[in-house]
Amino acid sequence: MRELLRHPPGIAGAVLLALVAVAVLLGPWLAPYDPQAFHPAARLQGPSAAYWLGTDQFGRDLFSRLMHGARATILFGLGATLIGVAAGALIGVTAGVTGGWVDSLIMRILDGLLAVPDLLFALLIVTVLGGGVQQAMLAVAVAFTPGMARIARAAVLSIRTREYVLAAIARGESAAWIIGREVLPNAVGPIIVEATIRVAFAIMIGATLGFLGLGAQPPSTEWGLMVAEARQFMFRNPFVVAVPGVAIAIAAMGFNLFGDALRDILDPRRRR
Amino acid sequence: MIDFAITRRGVVLGLAAASTLPRVALGQGTPRRGGTLKISHTTRIATLNVLQLSGPAEYPAVDMIYSGLTRMGADLRPMPDLAESWEGANEARSFTFRLRPGVTFHDGAPCEAEDVVATFKGILDPATASPARSVLSMIADVVAVDPLTVRFDLNISYADFPTSVGHANARIVPRAAWTRPIEELNTQPNGTGPFRVETYDSARLLRLVRNENYFIAGQPYLDAVEMYLFPDLAAEASNFLSGAVDVMLEVQQAEFARIAAAPGVSALRVPSGRFINVVMRQDQPPFDDVRVRKALAMAVDRQLLVDIVLEGLGRPAYDNPIAPEYRYQIETPEIPYDPAAARALLSEAGHPDGLKITLVASNRPAIRGQVAIAIKEMARAAGFEIEVESMPHDTYLSNVWMKGNFYMGYWGMQPTEDGAFTLLFTSDAAFQDTEWKNAEFDALVARGRSTLDEAERAQLYGQAQELILRDTPYLIPFFQDVLTAYREGVVGWGVHPLSRTFYVEQVWLDRA
Amino acid sequence: MTPAYLLRRLGAIVVVLVIVSLTVFGITMVLPGNAAVMILGEWATPEQLAALEERLGLDRPVWAQYFDWVGGILAGDWGTSLRLQLPVAQVVGDAIANSALLAVTALVAVTLVAIPLGMLAAIRRGTGADLGIGLVAYVGTAMPEFVTATLLLVFLAGPSVALFPAGGFVAPGESVAGFLAHVALPAGTLALVMTAHIARQVRSEMTDVLGSDYVRAARLKGLREWTVIRRHALPNSLAPAVAVISLDVGYLLGGIIVVEEIFAWPGLGRLLIYALENRDLPVIQAITLVLALVYALSNLLSDLVIAALDPRVRYA
Repeated sequence: MRELLRHPPGIAGAVLLALVAVAVLLGPWLAPYDPQAFHPAARLQGPSAAYWLGTDQFGRDLFSRLMHGARATILFGLGATLIGVAAGALIGVTAGVTGGWVDSLIMRILDGLLAVPDLLFALLIVTVLGGGVQQAMLAVAVAFTPGMARIARAAVLSIRTREYVLAAIARGESAAWIIGREVLPNAVGPIIVEATIRVAFAIMIGATLGFLGLGAQPPSTEWGLMVAEARQFMFRNPFVVAVPGVAIAIAAMGFNLFGDALRDILDPRRRR
Repeated sequence: MIDFAITRRGVVLGLAAASTLPRVALGQGTPRRGGTLKISHTTRIATLNVLQLSGPAEYPAVDMIYSGLTRMGADLRPMPDLAESWEGANEARSFTFRLRPGVTFHDGAPCEAEDVVATFKGILDPATASPARSVLSMIADVVAVDPLTVRFDLNISYADFPTSVGHANARIVPRAAWTRPIEELNTQPNGTGPFRVETYDSARLLRLVRNENYFIAGQPYLDAVEMYLFPDLAAEASNFLSGAVDVMLEVQQAEFARIAAAPGVSALRVPSGRFINVVMRQDQPPFDDVRVRKALAMAVDRQLLVDIVLEGLGRPAYDNPIAPEYRYQIETPEIPYDPAAARALLSEAGHPDGLKITLVASNRPAIRGQVAIAIKEMARAAGFEIEVESMPHDTYLSNVWMKGNFYMGYWGMQPTEDGAFTLLFTSDAAFQDTEWKNAEFDALVARGRSTLDEAERAQLYGQAQELILRDTPYLIPFFQDVLTAYREGVVGWGVHPLSRTFYVEQVWLDRA
Repeated sequence: MTPAYLLRRLGAIVVVLVIVSLTVFGITMVLPGNAAVMILGEWATPEQLAALEERLGLDRPVWAQYFDWVGGILAGDWGTSLRLQLPVAQVVGDAIANSALLAVTALVAVTLVAIPLGMLAAIRRGTGADLGIGLVAYVGTAMPEFVTATLLLVFLAGPSVALFPAGGFVAPGESVAGFLAHVALPAGTLALVMTAHIARQVRSEMTDVLGSDYVRAARLKGLREWTVIRRHALPNSLAPAVAVISLDVGYLLGGIIVVEEIFAWPGLGRLLIYALENRDLPVIQAITLVLALVYALSNLLSDLVIAALDPRVRYA
């Protein structure tokens, strides 16, 4: 942590993430209006004392929508990544620890799935699941799983031959014990770094699915959907697009910067 | 010839000095020949199979390539097309159409009665899967009396039959088409219309060129028409405003004012009977109780919906599917927005603590969800706690449409009252999704369609509308205008309330 | 590199394609709705639906449909698009060519811009230029393509500016200038994101190289800084850049989906969205296989290029 504070991009990332965290934790209390309430007399207005960031096509307060939408947006990214990481780590660690034909089989399948671009994979799955925010989250998670599995496996392979693991094997410990107590804690570094950066990806894919009509659905305040719905009105009030667009960029940059900083700190080769 | 006296209803609400009726606009000087008209649209022209297509951009394409027996005029009256004249007999159970002589298809083959017979027999074959079939199901037989005369014998008396044969999917294809795989029509259309296909790439561009042998001498004026696909609405509008195309087939409400204000551009709004309908299924609670439906009807501020969802480009409707553009609309009382009265009625219907219910909307077009969300906010004051569930259109079609108990429908205008009633309202309607089934209503509609007397018909259709207003089978909050735009120098471009006929052969370019 | 290695890699690609085909097949078979429902839309009566399903062959068992499909592909027949009623090979083939034009333009633009930018950032490490490039790079990767594309549309193709057409496609065969004007915004959108990735990667590799012992040794020999960079640092950091570019091909194949939709580019991405919306299974399957193949081949190609660029890498 102290290292992070000496790493300028890390500080920037932490600051951005702190902003986002405030919106996620306190958003509904900070919002001055009901995010769904219409104000027909104040449609598509720019920022004012009454509406700090302006209003959208129904006269809904953009700041209130932004604050409420933080949860939907960020929890989407975190949720999709967590599920993807959990599933990927399980598969990757299993492959790495077991080795042999199981490993080869899993790796072949992973190679196959990795050849499908993330967005395409997520699109296919979300179409099957029927669109909607939970479906999109699951789809992104599934799309992330092969990549995470690969990283987890690589981490395990680099640890497998270390003394403490060999010692555990020599002691005759069970595979589950070895994975849980020796391998996972030591493989966790690269997984965390990758996961942090993936959150940014997940948020952006989620927003893109919303844009394509397959992710969050109206009247959700998810930021990607806010941009998608507002595009028609952007010439009348640029804030309807700019406000959620900048919010997405802040969140994604926060996770990117923070993830890069973590990588630099955890990777001794890059330490200077 | 049956002559139904029809009052002209194509009222122009012209916003940007323009006329609804392209024919009227022809007063602007002598048509000049030549030039290419470029049109942009947002939905794909997936097929040119006139018998099957149903896409918004496919209609103008086939209106240029094909001709029907009749063609809908801007005043909802059937106009001569391939048929020069027609007459009904035997109390509208039999109709004889006299064809124009000397008409040829684009490949040079003559267009005669046999082609008409083959086309209608093909449409009636379920295997063709033509949307025109349900509209023409009253045909018992169609025969070629001589090469230029076709007679239709009907199962029932059907006074609007000359309108029915003008259905957009009932345009005449050559008899030879049926001897080959019918799929050939998808990409190699062969019609008698004013333009023929030169290039067809459904991903990008349809280019049509003048049919030199078109049956109206001197028309079309244009050398060519190009239709460009722009799937993104924002990109389409920018492209139009930058001058890259001459016509934007359909303008979004949100963009209308901006486009109308742009220099060198005219935006056109045409009142239409197209509507959003809130489907309330009546074979189950809570909408089996008419009071619940009436309460919801009072809980919606229709004028506000028109203002904020349609940007003012429409008119409030009060649950009557018959818009003023139809022939026999009755005076429809306004339903004021009255949440207090709505709450009282809801309470009387057994929901003193309000009603919690999920309203489903497909995301295509976006207006369904927008209206649903607005209704949710308005009806809240009346005790309706509505949760809006938006979903992708494919999911909606598979899981909700024709099945759900509370969802958003969206329908284009129909050419006749009978068309509107048998689409949604009669017990055997093609898309009966409310289970509002009323024998009295069915009988009125059946009598109306076989009645030739204008006044009697008006009375029957009036009574049918009264029943709809009494029972509120659907909540119909507004009629939505059809919007289009064109650049300076384009003369005669217009759209029709039904968006099925475009008369592009009369359009010309007044450019140096 | 040995022929045996190449053969093994190509064999692996075949395995990948088999897995992708099974996955995609599995996914497409459980898609809700079907092409008949989507074609007829709200105008469908059950009767019409049944007739159309029969005509499209959707009423046959799943396995019969699958084996027909695989058998067809092996025989060179990709089937017929359910929605467009055209041979899939033709529909997808046209789209591949158009997407390839877009992707290659974007890749060329990125290579020309990102590598120098990354080098500049590494050489001027810690200066304003470095910070500026870093900032742009972070912002570039933090915006979904549809937001970037929207911004470009407003600022570069809006009615008041109109520097570029707001979408559309002109084949380079028709008019090279027309093609370049139309490709600028979609390729620019894709390039912006990739530039961010690649410039960052080049900067980081170059920084490592510049801090390495042999560069220090070269400097000690008294070589000029530019010579050091050209002879030592650049060659050693190019190989990793190629690796990132090939990874970015994966990104590119996803990115075209949104960019083509917004800029009306008639390529694979837009065709895919259309096919998904219309449940056009043969087209979905074909596009997925093609994209997977392209990605796998680009990985192989990048390994070959890296081996050629970096004398330390040897494949056997």
